[in-house]
Amino acid sequence: MKKHGFVYEFKKNKALFFMVAPTVLLVLVMSYLPMSGLVLAFKNYRFDLGVFGSEWNGLENFRYLFQSGAGWLITRNTILYNLLNLITSQGLAIVVAVIISELTGRIFKKITQSVIFLPYFISWVIVGTFVFNIFNYETGVLNNIITAFGGEKVNVYSMPGVWPWIICIFNAWKWVGYNSIIYIAAITSIDAECYEAADIDGANVFQKIWYITFPSIRPTIITMLLLQVGRILRGDFEMFYQIVGNNGQLYDATDVIDTYVFRSLLTNSNFGMTAAATFYQSVLCFIIIMVVNQIVKKVEADYALF
Amino acid sequence: MKRTIRLTALLLVAALLVCACTACGTGKGKASSEDTPSSGAASSEAAGEDISKKVELSMYVVSDRPVVQDQVEENYNKVFEEKLNCTLKVNWIGWAEYKNKYPLLFSSGEVFDMAYTSTWLNFSPLARKGAFKELDELWPKYAPKNYERQSEMALRQSKVNGHSYCIPTLLGTYSASGPTYRTDILEGTDWDGKMETIADYEEFLEYAKEAAPEMEPYNVYQSGSDMDEVYMKSKGLYGLTGGFLWLDPSEEKPQVFTYYEYGDTPEFLTMMSRWNEKGFFSKSALSDTDSQKFRGGKAASRITNLDAYPDEYIRHPEWGVKYANLVSDVSNLPFTQDAMAIASTSKNPERALMLYDLITSDQEVFNAFYYGVEGVNYKIIDGQIENLAPDDFVYSACWSARTPEFDMDDYGSPADLPDIRASFDSHIEEMKGEGSQKYTGFVMDTAAIETEFAACQNVHQQYWWPLELAYTDAESGLQEYEEKMEVAGIERIREEVQRQLDEYLDSLKEK
Repeated sequence: MKKHGFVYEFKKNKALFFMVAPTVLLVLVMSYLPMSGLVLAFKNYRFDLGVFGSEWNGLENFRYLFQSGAGWLITRNTILYNLLNLITSQGLAIVVAVIISELTGRIFKKITQSVIFLPYFISWVIVGTFVFNIFNYETGVLNNIITAFGGEKVNVYSMPGVWPWIICIFNAWKWVGYNSIIYIAAITSIDAECYEAADIDGANVFQKIWYITFPSIRPTIITMLLLQVGRILRGDFEMFYQIVGNNGQLYDATDVIDTYVFRSLLTNSNFGMTAAATFYQSVLCFIIIMVVNQIVKKVEADYALF
Repeated sequence: MKRTIRLTALLLVAALLVCACTACGTGKGKASSEDTPSSGAASSEAAGEDISKKVELSMYVVSDRPVVQDQVEENYNKVFEEKLNCTLKVNWIGWAEYKNKYPLLFSSGEVFDMAYTSTWLNFSPLARKGAFKELDELWPKYAPKNYERQSEMALRQSKVNGHSYCIPTLLGTYSASGPTYRTDILEGTDWDGKMETIADYEEFLEYAKEAAPEMEPYNVYQSGSDMDEVYMKSKGLYGLTGGFLWLDPSEEKPQVFTYYEYGDTPEFLTMMSRWNEKGFFSKSALSDTDSQKFRGGKAASRITNLDAYPDEYIRHPEWGVKYANLVSDVSNLPFTQDAMAIASTSKNPERALMLYDLITSDQEVFNAFYYGVEGVNYKIIDGQIENLAPDDFVYSACWSARTPEFDMDDYGSPADLPDIRASFDSHIEEMKGEGSQKYTGFVMDTAAIETEFAACQNVHQQYWWPLELAYTDAESGLQEYEEKMEVAGIERIREEVQRQLDEYLDSLKEK
């Protein structure tokens, strides 16, 4: 293969270069340029000296993350929550997508899809209010139902163990409609002839789903998983903050890196420490996504991201 | 050849990017202060300073922007232009975003002149990190009338690392804390109406629970309970920044301590668990975001400072709202509770200070700046002020500009308000700078212990808040709190703060 210079390539594919330029610029400005700000993680930031003028202070900014032993706990929580949410919300999304594409009535199908999609538009602030009104001890819906049936009131807010599930359920409820769209798109692109052939061979609905639908959308599933894994150390701050609030009793079970950092740095506006936490998240994310991608590459090279 | 071309292309892109970035940097700054030649209309000399050049000053305050800000601004700018040949533009940072946006003001490099600041906006950490201009010489020179009236305590509080970085308010506020409570719900019961101690308050809560079971007797929501502070302060103790360090002002050489080292803490926790059992507050309070339960008629009392009392009283005169202070040794809150700072990027600190001096020393200018347009925004009735359109303009958010001479109570304020204030003032006078008042000038410097401090604050919130509300078991909870605080580095904080405190006391003796 003959290699050509950049100028030659440029002349030949002017239109293509022109089309890709905005994206390249956007990525540079929004993703690469801000990376220089990561030096803050190693600096004692002063407003009058600026990002690059401030003094270096080594790993001092990272110390507070691990000072009270919270570092490991919140890292573990963040990863476990994301894994749980990944499995539940993606799994549910696939199931929903398959069911919706099997539905035949057009109007019923549209209505179902819209209803499932709706929670995506509700902000976490509102969801937080829902959660409080369901679970609070005095006037919550749950306790009202329990007492109506003659049971003892339960104080859900002092039971850390159930919160991972509550959070997981609300997360799935909110995202499932949105995620299923992508799978529905993948399913509609499957060649209808496959299903016709299966019909002639006498396959039932479940066999068709299992032997045709799933294998066909496998690349989509893997790509979605990889994309989600890249965010595995970013807790959905809004969700945790709005659902849990300032309830210290639940922190051990519900604290993620983002909420911990937000809470502890709210009071001293230390940009260095915030940057250190972000840096820590980014590096871990990078390592995890590289590892997962390598594994995918080993197993099925075509499906890897890069 | 190929390589050089590639390199040039890359460099070009980089250069372009840098240009784009610097362009937006300077573009932003320009709007805030621009020097234009004088119109010549104004007097070019004021207090011996050259003001022949017209200056546009800008100020940041934290609050939601009022609807009629433009009219108010136009009104006071006429006065400012006439007296000091300058205009002032006030920028508002809304309540929803101030926590993130306020510190970013100083890191963005934006050019502006003044900013409202306060202990709750992290005045001293920001000052230490170079957000504000140092005022050691500028302040006495350009704002002499203000400087002269500052108390020794206030001057001390304005300093960080030995230099002044802000102009504290001249209006003293008090460390008073206690219940603001409704008396209408207890009418017809045999409640004696006494409210002098925490035990009286407990009695009130008991009656309230019975008389109005649909209400929460004591309003607690997600920002936690204030009873811990009331309890400690009712014992005459003095609390330091952060909420977990205390000292006893009655000692000659006070030792800094925290909750689990205090002998009466178990007693306090027993009391709180009694309150919890009786349902005096919600069992899910820390996840409740409704901060207006009292105002909305869903709670019978809340713990507040003195300032919240007239506000609640005026809103519902029919509720018979009353206030009682339970703090035994009331002192002035740090004057940096409300303060004005000059941004380190300011181009016209002199004029900004002159303007601030004028605002805090001239009633007419103050009214125009703080209360708005007379007859439109406010009306003065018998030395009290009535806001004619509270939805349009709730007065300026530059609360630091208030002075004891110019500040007026709201029209319809409770009749006992001046008496309460007078009793605080006379108490402070009686103490002659001893007791709590002695320590109000002490400003903790957390620079050396920032990591530990952040960690301890976190532990305090995670373990003490639920413990205080008796959501966790008193004995094992307190033990866990202690263990976690120790891991977080409380020992280092205590040592450092103790050292600073001793230094402070020595410096007082030298005088």
